[in-house]
Amino acid sequence: MGLSRRDFLKVSAAGSGGLLLSLNLAGCSGLQTGYREESGSWKPDAWLEITRDNDVFFTLARVEMGQGTYTGLTSLIAEELEVEPAAIQPRFAPVASEYHNPLYKLQLTGGSTSLATSWQPLRVAGASARVLLVQAAARVWQVPVAECRAERGRVIHPNGEDSLAYGQLVELAAAESVPDEPPLKSPDQWRYIGKGRGRLDSYSKVTGTAEYGIDVELPGLVYGVVARPPRYGAKVGSFDAAEALAMPGVIDVFAIERGVAVVADKYWRARKALDKVAVEWDNTEALAVSSESVMDFYRQAAERDEGAKERDDGDVAQALEKADQVVEASYEQPYLAHATLEPMNATAVYRDGQMEVWAPTQAPDLGRIAAARVTDLSPDEVTIHTTFLGGGFGRRLTQDFIEEAAAIAFQVRQPVKLIWSREDDTRHDLYRPAMLHRLKASVADGRVTGWHHQIVGPQILDWYVRNAAPAQYPWAPKILYGTLGSVGLAAEGIITPKDMSAIEGAVDYPYQVDNVEIRHTHSDPGVPVTWWRSVGHSHNGFAVETFMDELAHQLGKDPYQFRRELIQHEPRHLAVLDRAAELGGWSEPVPEGRARGIALHRSFGTYAAQVVEASVEGGEVRVHRVACAVDCGQVVNPDVVRDQIESGVIFGITAALYGKVTFDNGAVQESNFHDYLLLRNHQRPAVSVDIVESDAAPTGIGEPGVPPVIPALGNALFSLTGKRQRNLPLSA
Amino acid sequence: MAITLTVNGSRHTVEVEEDTPLLWVIRDEVGLKGTKFGCGRALCGACTVHLDGSPIRSCSTPVSVAEGRSVTTIEGLSDGDTLHRLQQAWIDHGVPQCGYCQSGQLMTAAHLLSYNPHPSDEEISTAMSGNLCRCGTYSNIVAAVKSVANPAEEA
Repeated sequence: MGLSRRDFLKVSAAGSGGLLLSLNLAGCSGLQTGYREESGSWKPDAWLEITRDNDVFFTLARVEMGQGTYTGLTSLIAEELEVEPAAIQPRFAPVASEYHNPLYKLQLTGGSTSLATSWQPLRVAGASARVLLVQAAARVWQVPVAECRAERGRVIHPNGEDSLAYGQLVELAAAESVPDEPPLKSPDQWRYIGKGRGRLDSYSKVTGTAEYGIDVELPGLVYGVVARPPRYGAKVGSFDAAEALAMPGVIDVFAIERGVAVVADKYWRARKALDKVAVEWDNTEALAVSSESVMDFYRQAAERDEGAKERDDGDVAQALEKADQVVEASYEQPYLAHATLEPMNATAVYRDGQMEVWAPTQAPDLGRIAAARVTDLSPDEVTIHTTFLGGGFGRRLTQDFIEEAAAIAFQVRQPVKLIWSREDDTRHDLYRPAMLHRLKASVADGRVTGWHHQIVGPQILDWYVRNAAPAQYPWAPKILYGTLGSVGLAAEGIITPKDMSAIEGAVDYPYQVDNVEIRHTHSDPGVPVTWWRSVGHSHNGFAVETFMDELAHQLGKDPYQFRRELIQHEPRHLAVLDRAAELGGWSEPVPEGRARGIALHRSFGTYAAQVVEASVEGGEVRVHRVACAVDCGQVVNPDVVRDQIESGVIFGITAALYGKVTFDNGAVQESNFHDYLLLRNHQRPAVSVDIVESDAAPTGIGEPGVPPVIPALGNALFSLTGKRQRNLPLSA
Repeated sequence: MAITLTVNGSRHTVEVEEDTPLLWVIRDEVGLKGTKFGCGRALCGACTVHLDGSPIRSCSTPVSVAEGRSVTTIEGLSDGDTLHRLQQAWIDHGVPQCGYCQSGQLMTAAHLLSYNPHPSDEEISTAMSGNLCRCGTYSNIVAAVKSVANPAEEA
């Protein structure tokens, strides 16, 4: 830890007479990368505030998009503070360096890191507050601190009868000194951690009162929609707005960076007027790729460039030379959309030289940069309010929707809500990259002796750095944004974390094979890409675990036993593999007409293995059962863990069976849920989850359910039909 | 034009073009934001409300269709502060994740129970198949509906 406790926690009296505790989560990282915080000053935005009225406010530095941080992080505070989780009022954090994710030095929610990065600091913070309150009470009563205890928002006197509510103690507590090492509760003392207790945001979400970005309301609000070019990268050439401007309620029609904006007093009027705007697109810089040409581009790149060596154990070339047999396979995977159910949107208002933005964003500090970039404003003149997110999955790490809303609000000088149509959302996403994988394995004496994996595709950081790098240096003048982007790329792995998006889940190939070589051929056909629930693991998991299955069949081995033999040195992998096999009834007879497939994959620190049972009925793949064993370290909320695994399984099956964004001459062909299908209720499998008990530090849970299910389903279909499918999506 | 409709028991007269989808009237004229926009093409079910007791996709229903009729939204599902049994079951089963689709899911489930008070699991899944959930909360939805419809059977 680079900071002393005094820097890490700061206590002060609130203006209203309450107790404020500030916490520097960002500075509490063991992963210092040489980047220094802008300044050591403490912002007035407390992370925990206890008022004289016994209100407890907790600033949630990670957004809630369905993954459960609202409940999970609040439970950590509640546990050590000794209050009911439901008695705490979470608030979404404003933009401030205190709320940086320490792994990224940015205020973003992604990578299944929220709980892992908050686990220790939030408990320490909650415990510190509790100790201050107990010390204050002990001083009031003139009794030893050690004989007082805290319980449900009160400090209890040693006589067991008298007590003081936290609200009565806050001013005194603010004068106490922060303990160096506040005692954390032991697991047997936990009331909330490890117990399933529902979600704190459920009530608002079943009554329709939870406020998502699209629900933000302001006085005098008008609505913005944008006409976008069919081909990615095309610019507005010219447009004729005469007819649209004559329509009722239309306020303005003008070009912005990414299209033509129409602003009207009502959403439907704006949408109808948009149809009447005739735009000539300038296709000079437009993308011209098709899905087929992308794969050709990758194949050519793979031949031309064997790629950067990302891992090199032993001597694969020699193993291949000495092999009795060399097995080879290529796997192709398409672009995938995020399809969050809440379409992209943002609300912005510009007045008195300041801009305020309300948005469902995974990265509010990047949103501030995006708004500044397209206006005259500097980042500190932009305020971002984060709302609930109607799904994220990585899509809302990119701030194009804030950028557009800011540009429109800056032009019309009225509060504007920008709403994308579903068609906009599908066709103007940034996609999970299409990828090509080429694998080779050498077999000698019935054993796998070498593993060679060449991954061909883009790096996501190339697309992300434009806004991300300036967000790390928010005081830098805007003229430097371009430079910072380049520096950010050049400094990858030094200032910024190494971009693992192409190789994660491949470079950490876990099986006991003496010679392993993993290479990445960096090949970018120009299609915009970004993170997507489990990203690299989603495509590498499919390639690795499908090829493992192919090898098992080549060697005449049971796919479970084959993996088992090669994972003896990794006890946590082995445990989930065994438990998934048991839960999924691997050794039991398969019902008539069905088959099983298995896969094992570690991602975001979490170990997951799955057994899928599937059939083909009426020409359609039917997934009947998915059994998943998971080890994510210490479990904070077992219900959330089970639900997130099931959620990931359904997300993965959706990708495996339907996921495909098709490009033709640079334009996306899919548009809405009739041609970009999501799994529906009657198609869902029965999902069972076995959670391995562990006292290891908690790891991610939002994403690890996705990677294993795709290969496990493909492997089941191979077992059923004898036909190996190497390209996604899978068919019957 | 002026259109009069009843929303959750209250009469509203709104001044909008008659082809305006009911969804935007509910959200922006009446001011009830619980009904969500997901696709605009009656494909996802996030905008489901009841029109005279029957579920409709408000994103694709012109407001003129609702003239003089009665609309119930998620805000009207509870009886004042007393939650509908399904809303309570949704909380007890921890159904909502991102939560964006859940208003529509609840309105569809409420209609199911109005004509089939004791549906089988398969009937529940089939009835709910028109409501997409990107978070994949489907099994919890079925369990929650079942807990209301057939409380004795629930494990």
